[in-house]
Amino acid sequence: MTEGVSYSFCESLRSRQAEAERSMLKEFAQGVYTPEKPYIKLNPYLINPLSAVVAFCTKEETAVTVTIFGKENKGNIVHTFPRKKEHILPILGLYGGYDNQVELRLYGGRSHTITIRTEELSERVPKLLSLNTEPEYISEDLIFVTPSLSALATAFDRFGEVRWHLTVPVIFEMARLKNGNFLIGTERVMQMPYYMSGLYEMTMMGKIVKEYSIPGGYHHDQCEMEDGNILVLTEGESYETVEDVIVLLDRETGEIRKTWDLKDCLIPGEGPSGGYTPRDWFHNNALWYDKHTHSITLSGRHVDAIINIDYETGALNWIIGDPETWPADKQKYFFQIKGGKDFDWPYEQHGCLVTPNGGIMCFDNGHYRSKIPEKFLLNRDSFSRGVLYQIDRETMTIEQLWQYGKERGEEFFSSYIGNVEWYKEDHYLVHSGGIQYYGEHASEKPAALLQGDPNVRSESITVEILHGKVIFEMKIEGNFYRAKKMALYKEGENLPLGEGILAGRMGVTPEFDTLIPMESCGELLPYRYEAKLTEEEDRFVFKAIFEGGQMVMLMLENEEEEHGYFISTSKNKFNALCCGTFIEKDPRNITLNVNKAGLTGTFDVRVIVDDKKYDTGIRIAC
Amino acid sequence: MLKEVMEDEFRQSSQKGLVLADFYSTACGPCKMLAFVLADVDKACGDKVSIMKLDFDKNRALAEEFGITSYPTLILLKDGKEIKRLTGLQQKPAIVKMIEEA
Repeated sequence: MTEGVSYSFCESLRSRQAEAERSMLKEFAQGVYTPEKPYIKLNPYLINPLSAVVAFCTKEETAVTVTIFGKENKGNIVHTFPRKKEHILPILGLYGGYDNQVELRLYGGRSHTITIRTEELSERVPKLLSLNTEPEYISEDLIFVTPSLSALATAFDRFGEVRWHLTVPVIFEMARLKNGNFLIGTERVMQMPYYMSGLYEMTMMGKIVKEYSIPGGYHHDQCEMEDGNILVLTEGESYETVEDVIVLLDRETGEIRKTWDLKDCLIPGEGPSGGYTPRDWFHNNALWYDKHTHSITLSGRHVDAIINIDYETGALNWIIGDPETWPADKQKYFFQIKGGKDFDWPYEQHGCLVTPNGGIMCFDNGHYRSKIPEKFLLNRDSFSRGVLYQIDRETMTIEQLWQYGKERGEEFFSSYIGNVEWYKEDHYLVHSGGIQYYGEHASEKPAALLQGDPNVRSESITVEILHGKVIFEMKIEGNFYRAKKMALYKEGENLPLGEGILAGRMGVTPEFDTLIPMESCGELLPYRYEAKLTEEEDRFVFKAIFEGGQMVMLMLENEEEEHGYFISTSKNKFNALCCGTFIEKDPRNITLNVNKAGLTGTFDVRVIVDDKKYDTGIRIAC
Repeated sequence: MLKEVMEDEFRQSSQKGLVLADFYSTACGPCKMLAFVLADVDKACGDKVSIMKLDFDKNRALAEEFGITSYPTLILLKDGKEIKRLTGLQQKPAIVKMIEEA
């Protein structure tokens, strides 16, 4: 091994998929393919091994119905594609490590069954621990889970079989769009543990239709507005505080059309939760636009509260939460508990939503279950639940209409993450995605920081409840940010061809104000640091191994400018674990992401380690 | 003025005016970086504040007295009384702002 830093250039996933698609279409065009002998391409977009493209031509325009046969006559997935002569059909819902039988039936005519052999499921597919359901509720809808630890986005059918899986760590909310695609956080971490570079609009095949880069990055949640624009949780570009800004993205261009900064309606430090830190004072983990009130509802984990702000002005409308410790001038925004029924406030909650008749639901994690440190509950003594409140803004009263989970206690407890879904009145989903045990009891420390410890067990329980009856319960290994029920196919073709579009822009990576006055020692960075630099079209990623206590700063230098990026080697770098999927098991591993935005010219990359500034032999053109 | 002090000197010198105490550890990367930041702060603030660096391991009783649980921790004192505290590595503008507002 030589001294220095190993360098590579990584094409974007968008570009690699475009190249794969061009190659696939070329192969198809070069052959003669019929329904009886079709062209088959497994995993055509590189990241969904349980998908394939089946392509063939017919003499006449005809619709084609595809049936992906389930195992033992259970779990068939059926979709009819529109009339065409050239059929390029996305096949979804294949089983892993299996000879999948797929029937191609031409409208009113002949059918042919083909076999598609898939590879074994990867180690990053979560293990199913248990599944209970009622036969009458079986449907083609799958339960999708998005990652929080090492296992990746996966969907299970009602028999517990894995029918969809992505092999890249796209994370946070998976928001289905009106066109059938979905929006999900990119795998491109900007800064641990808070945010990613932006969003992908993807098809269920895993094809990126559009990549939205967002200057303040993306975290936790997003939703599609009625006009197609996208409401997204992000950061302010100064990054002095985090998880307290919302933006409206133009669906076409990705440009920011409107910004809400929660520091304009709340004062950081007021009503802190047990997990509060000055920088991550609100920890916004969910958003919901309500057209009936033209307002945005947000979930602030680090204030133990769901808040509602006016869409036009950003003014605070109301707060659902325990009013204890909040200052007098904020008390008017809180609700009084109505009636003598069972009632609990939410603590460090996630996943708020507004029901069609104005009810407010969330996953109440119950972490600490108090705002007074002396009254904080241990995780083993607390409970998590899905909860539905009804609020009356005229009388400023609140009622708890429904809850599920309190009765399960520690076994259903998630100190972080989780969500609820509303399907219709009295038909809900509750996802306790962050269950963590240390030995016999709920862990009091985050599992993401304890990965590899044999005493740690992490689980996720997803429950669907209809008229008070549990009709589906799935327990899987690992922690999963959210769960939701969706069908694989939407009406129509389901496979837009062509290269994915890049929209929006990256932000400027914050630099460290103080630079260390030091000349290069003229040596290359020693190999013991195992440093790697991966350049991408719009940024570069520096990875290395340093010992705790070392002072490390990455420098970009040319004759006119120098830019410094401090790299922390502290063991406990993280106060929150929003993207625990990317936590390194070895805390000595460091990652620094630097965007090219805001930098102009060509720079030598140097690295300061304690009292030496080393060369890397790498130049970056920005 | 920026200087390294021990507990006794700190107790004597911190009773008047503005004093910024930096509890640091020699085994902490952010603490090492903060030393460069404080040198810049010292240049910017001049006589307005005395910056006193205290090695956490050599001044444990004092650290305990101030309830220091992590390092680096910056404590701003006015006439011997704590008026503001910042934990973790800070950038120069945040420290200068804290001093100017004192």
